[in-house]
Parts: sequence; C-alpha cells; structure tokens
Amino acid sequence: MPIDAPSGSRPEGGESSRHTRSRPLASWREHHGWSAAASLRRLAGRPFGTLLTIAVMGLALALPLTFYLLLGNVQHLGDALGRNPAISVFLQPGQPGSVAQLLVKQLDARDDVAGVTVKSPQQGLDELSKMQGFSDALKSLDDNPLPYVLQVQPKDGLDAGAVSRLATDLRAMHGVDMVQDSGTWRQRLDALLHVGNRIVLILAGLLALAALLVVGNTVRVDIASRADEIGVLMLIGASRAFVRRPYLYAGIWYGLFSGVLAVLLALLVEAVLAGPVAALSQAYGGSLHIGGLPAGLLLAAPLAAAALGWLGARLVSAWQLRRAA
Amino acid sequence: MIRFDQVSKRYEGGHEALSQLSFEVAEGEMAFVTGHSGAGKSTLLKLLALIERPTHGHIVLDGQPLAKVHAPGIPRLRRRIGMVFQDHRLLMDRSVFANVELPLVIGGIAPQERVRRVRAALEKVGLLDYERQLPVSLSTGEQQRVGIARAIVTRPAVLIADEPTGNLDPQLAVEIMELFAGFQQVGTTVLVASHDLPLIKRMRKRVVVLDHGRLVADVAAEEVL
Repeated sequence: MPIDAPSGSRPEGGESSRHTRSRPLASWREHHGWSAAASLRRLAGRPFGTLLTIAVMGLALALPLTFYLLLGNVQHLGDALGRNPAISVFLQPGQPGSVAQLLVKQLDARDDVAGVTVKSPQQGLDELSKMQGFSDALKSLDDNPLPYVLQVQPKDGLDAGAVSRLATDLRAMHGVDMVQDSGTWRQRLDALLHVGNRIVLILAGLLALAALLVVGNTVRVDIASRADEIGVLMLIGASRAFVRRPYLYAGIWYGLFSGVLAVLLALLVEAVLAGPVAALSQAYGGSLHIGGLPAGLLLAAPLAAAALGWLGARLVSAWQLRRAA
Repeated sequence: MIRFDQVSKRYEGGHEALSQLSFEVAEGEMAFVTGHSGAGKSTLLKLLALIERPTHGHIVLDGQPLAKVHAPGIPRLRRRIGMVFQDHRLLMDRSVFANVELPLVIGGIAPQERVRRVRAALEKVGLLDYERQLPVSLSTGEQQRVGIARAIVTRPAVLIADEPTGNLDPQLAVEIMELFAGFQQVGTTVLVASHDLPLIKRMRKRVVVLDHGRLVADVAAEEVL
C-alpha cells in the first residue's frame, strides 16, 4: 500500500494548546464526560471483579445503615412503652384534700408538667380492695391509712434529666411524703441508646475506612495493570490530572453503586422486619410506631459512598502516579 | 529547531551516556542519529522528551530551553513533539482511530475537529480504511504507521523517532522513512535515531554519528554516500 506524502502547509506545533486555551471549559467538560464514560466501560469490561468490589463495599456500608435502622426502632419501642411515664407523688398521711388541690394548682402552672390527676385515699382504698387478696385485709383496718396521691404527667419530649429535676422539685414541695419516679428504666434505655449510637458511629467510621481501602486497592491494581498505557499517555503529553481522572471516576462509580446496594440491603432488612414488627405493634394495641430509614439518609448514603470512593481513588492514584512519573 | 549545547548525561552509578554533545538541527531539517548499541541515541531522545534531564549543558527545542521546563510544564512540551517508538506503544484494547485520537483528546481539541484530523493523519499513513480495527489485527508495519499517525496528528513542530524501522522488513522500512522525509518537506523538524546504516545512506539526509556518548561525525546530507 503506498504511503501518501503529507500535503498542505507545514504542520504547526502547539495547535492543540491553542485550541485548549480558546475553549478551556468545553474541553474540561468533554474530558470529564470522556473519563466518566471510559471508566464505566472499563468497569463493565470486567463484570465479575466489579460486582465483587461493589458487593464487598455495599455490605460494609449496609451494616451501619442496618444498625442505625435497628437502633432507631429500639428508640421508637422505648417511646411506645412510655417516654415520660407519670410520676407518683404520695402526700404525707393526714394531709387534707385542700393541700392536694393546692399542689395541683402549683404543678399545673409549671412548663414541664402536662397534667396532674388526684387520687383520694378512698379511691386508693377502692382500687386496693379490687385486687385479689387485699379485700379481707382492708376490712380489718379501722382507718384508711392511704394518703392523697398525685399522678404527675411530665410534658412530652422531656429528656431524662428534666424529668429527674421535676421529681426533685416534687420531693421538696410542702406536704409531700414520697415521690416515685418510674423513669429510671427510661434513663437506662436512653443511656444504652446513646452507647448504641456511638457504636454505630464508630462502626460506620471503621467500615467507611474499609470501603476506602477496598476502592483504593482496586484502583491500585487497576493502575498497576495499566502501567504501560499510563506510560504512553504521559509520553504523548497527558498531565497527571488527565491520567488520573478515569480512575477517580472509577472510584466514584464503585462508591455510588455500592451505596445504592447498601441502601437496597437496608431496605430489604426493613422489609424483612416489617412482619414481626407489625405483630409487636398489634400486641401494644397498634400504638407502637416503627420507623424506616429517613429519605434524606437513603439519598445521602449513595452520595457519601461516591465521595468515599473518589477519596480512596484519589489518595491511591496520586501516590501511584507519583511513583510512575 | 533542536539545539544541544555541551550536553552530558551521567546516570547514577557513573555511566556517562552522553558527553559534551553539541549539534543543531534547523527548523524543517531531517537528521539521523546513529551509532552502535549504547552510543547514546536513546538517551539523546529521552533528553528531548524530558524523560531524563542532562547532567550538564543546555538543550533548546523549538525555541524553548528545556532547563526552564519544570514538572508541570512537561506535558505541554510533550504535546509539541511527535514521538514515534520502535515498539509503537499503541493501546491494544482501543481502535486505530482511538489511538490516533488520544493526543487530540489530551490537547482538548473539539470532537468534530478530532475526527477530521484523525482521518487526515490516517490518510497520510495509508490506513484510513483501518480506523475501526484494533491494532492487534494489524501487521507490524501497519502498527508502526498507526504510531506515526498518532505522532503527527497534533501537527507537531518537531518529530522524533527512536528506531522506528527496527522491526520492519527493508521495503516497509523505506516506506516509513519516506513518510518521515515527507513531513520534513512540509516544514517539520525530524530527528530519527537508527542504526540501520544502509537505510540511512539511502535516505541521503544529515547524519549525526555517536560513539560512547560522544559526537564522532556530523555528515551533511549532500555528503552522505
């Protein structure tokens, strides 16, 4: 086959750079599109390895999401069982009803009290007499020994500390003999949930680091297997940023897809739990509200995973390409 | 234009690949660099491509003193040079078109312009009908021509080639060299490292002869026998 001699004017060096200068934004955008598509094609070109990486990362990211879901629901369960159960205030024996009414008035004026009900000694005695085994014993009493009892309902949304302060104030009130604050168990639950939240955060951090390492290692292997190609690109004038860009996009794709997988797995766990949770809710007369993962988190998880993938790819590619240059 | 001024290159370990080398290739001139294996031909081309830096001396390429080109400027400088390698250095998983297009993608040339230029370059090397094929399906000579098309597609002012006919049969080697001579005729400065003396003599171009890193002869085109 004959080789044609070049024709026309003298080839002009530096034309590429002139074109780049005249359309820098368009060129930058085109190369990003080119890199994104090229990296996606590379990932699709080795489906098994890609799926394996995405599966490992997806599982790692699904764990904190699932724990977050479970923890949230334990909190809901605690709320359903009584976020701020009523505090029983026993007046000193012999205190008249007027004292009880005065206390009710004072308590109604407080911001942290939702309501107060008064139980007279007679009402208390009636309740006791209805309990099995008490009626005969009560008949032998000459006087009613029971005091007035106030059932103080704290406002919804009060934390354990505020409820505890309310109980302390109640103890200091005139005519009060004893205060029974049944919120201690709630305090313990809150403390446990706090520990759980912290564990989920630590776990999320560790698993995010694991995901970062998985992407980093995948990109490292990818760069190593394409050392010749990288060498050629650099010899024909590619900058490090140009060479690195497809690998950064690969990191973003790995992160994004594994984030989507993690969300799907968390939703699957939610769906699997839906049946037993409905039965549990039924047992509480349908008052048990079970929540799923918030929509914001479902959207943020893949984006955060994509950012994680980008970071892993960036760290490793910068190091690898510095060595290759 | 290429100018070497008292250039020496000593590698770690003490081996001196080039010693006090001075010569100049004018704009639009074609010259061969020849010598036995280890004479310093490849080192000379590596210095031009800024793969290596000289230990002493100055190199000027297309008006640019290379000593003033720092790491961030190297890619830009390489985009002004067309490089052809003995082993072609093509990307075997990409089509002929994509290989030739690469320098234009790197240079940020618009897509339509890329298509036009790639086709023009492939036409010059006689491979327009092969643009969709993978390099692996081509003969060695055809692969080398793809490498040449890639080198000229950016219309570089300087074309350097390291043993471009090393793997080719004599007839193909002549065709490739005539292609380089064609580029020189339209104003490109061409520097070819080769140890194929019969071919060099046949081309009747200037010859710079190296021996152990030293310039031992600089023969003008008209003096080549």
